[in-house]
Amino acid sequence: MTADESELRELRASVREFLDSKSPEEAVRKLMESEPRFDPAVWAQAADQLRLPGLAIPEEYGGDGFGLVELGVVLEEMGRALFCAPFFATVLLAAQALLASGDKEACARLLPGIASGRTTATLAVAEDHGSWDPAMVLARAVPDSDGGWTVRGRKCFVVDGTTADVILLVARTVAGPTLFAVQRDAVGLSAEPMETLDATRAMARLTLDAVPATLVGAQGAGGRIMATVLDIASVGLAAEQAGGARRCLETSADYARVRHQFGRPIGSFQAVKHKCAEMLAQVELAEASSREAARLADEDSPDFPVAAAVAHACCSRAYMVAAMENIQVHGGIGFTWEHPAHLYFRRAKSSQLLFGGPAVYHERLLDRLGI
Amino acid sequence: MEQDMQDFAVEARRFLDAHVAKALDRTAFTWGEGDDSMAYFSSLPPEEEHEHVQRARAWQRIRHENGFGWITGPAEYGGRGLTPVHDLLYDAVESEYDVADTGVLSVIGLGMIGPTILAHAQPHIKDRWLPAMYRGDAIACQLFSEPGAGSDLASVATRAVREGEDWVLNGQKVWTSVAQHSQIGLALTRTNPDAPKHRGMTAFLVPMDTPGVEVRPLRQMTGGADFNEVFLTDVRIPDDHRLGEVDGGWTVALTTLMNERATVGSEGVGPVAAALSPDHLSALMRATWTWDDRALRARLAELLVDVLATEHLNARALHKLRAGVAPGPEMSVSKLMYGQNLTRAAHFVSDVLGPRIIADTGQWGTYAWTELLLATPALRILGGTEEIMKNILAERVLGLPKEPVTAAAREVRP
Ligand SMILES: Cc1cc2nc3c(=O)[nH]c(=O)nc-3n(C[C@H](O)[C@H](O)[C@H](O)COP(=O)(O)OP(=O)(O)OC[C@H]3O[C@@H](n4cnc5c(N)ncnc54)[C@H](O)[C@@H]3O)c2cc1C
Repeated sequence: MTADESELRELRASVREFLDSKSPEEAVRKLMESEPRFDPAVWAQAADQLRLPGLAIPEEYGGDGFGLVELGVVLEEMGRALFCAPFFATVLLAAQALLASGDKEACARLLPGIASGRTTATLAVAEDHGSWDPAMVLARAVPDSDGGWTVRGRKCFVVDGTTADVILLVARTVAGPTLFAVQRDAVGLSAEPMETLDATRAMARLTLDAVPATLVGAQGAGGRIMATVLDIASVGLAAEQAGGARRCLETSADYARVRHQFGRPIGSFQAVKHKCAEMLAQVELAEASSREAARLADEDSPDFPVAAAVAHACCSRAYMVAAMENIQVHGGIGFTWEHPAHLYFRRAKSSQLLFGGPAVYHERLLDRLGI
Repeated sequence: MEQDMQDFAVEARRFLDAHVAKALDRTAFTWGEGDDSMAYFSSLPPEEEHEHVQRARAWQRIRHENGFGWITGPAEYGGRGLTPVHDLLYDAVESEYDVADTGVLSVIGLGMIGPTILAHAQPHIKDRWLPAMYRGDAIACQLFSEPGAGSDLASVATRAVREGEDWVLNGQKVWTSVAQHSQIGLALTRTNPDAPKHRGMTAFLVPMDTPGVEVRPLRQMTGGADFNEVFLTDVRIPDDHRLGEVDGGWTVALTTLMNERATVGSEGVGPVAAALSPDHLSALMRATWTWDDRALRARLAELLVDVLATEHLNARALHKLRAGVAPGPEMSVSKLMYGQNLTRAAHFVSDVLGPRIIADTGQWGTYAWTELLLATPALRILGGTEEIMKNILAERVLGLPKEPVTAAAREVRP
């Protein structure tokens, strides 16, 4: 299903209205210092009133069957508001991994709960070194006597890793990297929160000591699944980044219009004006690249993998530029804890590096272009 | 709407198939084969230049005869009366074919001056020139810039003085592209030195064969002479060649400038497209054994991110047009990026080539890049400098306050 322009505008307006009232800056600041780092009541409302978790989950699994374009609109808005919720990990990482696995049984078991907002989930790939490359995974899974599996190893940088009800993870088997599902309360699983640069996105370190796990998809299919998931997840992340960057630009332009120095608004100084114009150029490129990539994904276009790599790199840079210059335009006040600018700076930097950072995504783009 | 578009594309393909060959597939680029020219400006010897212009005219005429010469133009002047989306669609289809380069006609004349004539000229001037321009018979140039009026265009000093039914023009224009090939020029002149500078200018259509119009080639840093100085000495122009109101020239100029920004950002064919093509750039790295240089690879990736994201930006503008929504700042940003992307590409390539770009080894596809390298400074200047474009984005899109205007800036310098 695809929404037309006016439906997308409506979706954006209702998500923005919801976030304006449920996730104002004070709420974000309160949540980033609490455990869990989201408000279960607000999450339930997002699910019940706006049906957000199920938006891009196929109808056969209890969702509304929209695609990445619609998901992108929601993520742009969440990025703007720095919304603290299990949306990114559950809907973008875990649900997309399940769909990419092609494992109908696992989808039927887990997706309806995710779509309704009752189940939260995440995807654990990276280990101590932080790489999302499944070939770098050391965690091991071995079959046990009664047809199940047990996993041993460690996972790091697991988004919402202390709260997710279900953890999808990549572990190696004799057939290669493979996707598994683990329940939060499984014996042998422990999760400790990591201190994070961006406190609005919780991360955890998991230790798996012979944890019972369910195979998802084919044995050895982890590499292929992760390639798909990373493309989709990085486009979703790109949308979030574009939303955050747009917010930084708007904040800067608003301030530059009203703050006076030397008897004139600072926005009339060309150094400031040009900074804002450069931020605008970055934001326009970011929105265009993430929205085009989402559109190509929904059209199943062969151009999607390249577009996904472009969106990831473009939006990572755009957000970083916008977040840095936002502080510069605000001067000293922008460097204070009270001002929201640092929250965006933290999010921008941590998003840029979440899936490995420039060295990784540049090579990924060249690889996708056959270079 | 979609059906109509498909029919139009089919018709365009049928026309093109009947007249020209398909272009070589750019994705099948092979190192060392074909022409290695990287010229943005032509820099041809005069006879070849003349042939080039004739080929452009001839192809424009064929387009026109088949209904593709002026897709968005009104029928009464020989246009097709279709939408900008049809226009863009035709361009996209035509880019698959090997057609003559019509830039000499289209970038300034058809892209900028034509729409201005259509909006502001008297009916018989439109009758006289519009069909001729779109048929490829008349080339037009933009006589705006002067030695003392570049970014600050409203300070033009070329005088136009009324004498009976005529106006007499005196002054000097500069950097006038394609003036040497033009039949008409759109001149911005000062008619009221006492009025505030934006309100004392008038626009005229100047037939370039009018006595007193002298075009002198101006050599540019690439070595060629695509632009010119144009001297106007007692040039008599009838009042009916005036565009817009007396002293209302600024409004006319704005029409041209708006179209200029849309035209400049949307180019990107021929050698220039090759300079931004991933295949071409990677082939260059292979040929120079810089293939696995990590620092260069990272820079290549960064460059390609901008190139491909700019393409997405253009695609967004197209979707908006298709959906009947006016595009926002996409085209201005695209123009800014276009100049920057080509500049970065040229410098990336020179770092790949090293000494091979400072002296010609005779190796295919190496020293040829100097042509692009030397053209890049112009791309950050023509059609409004980067700085001016940023002012416009900040003021018009973001609503930031204008620069304070000093008393001196209100006046026209002598
Ligand atoms: C290849 C080429 C083709 C051209 N073709 C044509 C043509 O066909 N017809 C025509 O009329 N003109 C043409 N031009 C002229 C072109 O429009 C001008 O060169 C351009 O507008 C800049 O004016 P200028 O050269 O006088 O530079 P200036 O205006 O003197 O600018 C010099 C520097 O000062 C900066 N500057 C000026 N004002 C400001 C400001 N307010 N804020 C910040 N910085 C500022 C500029 O950005 C630039 O860096 C062409 C130019 C080139 C290079």
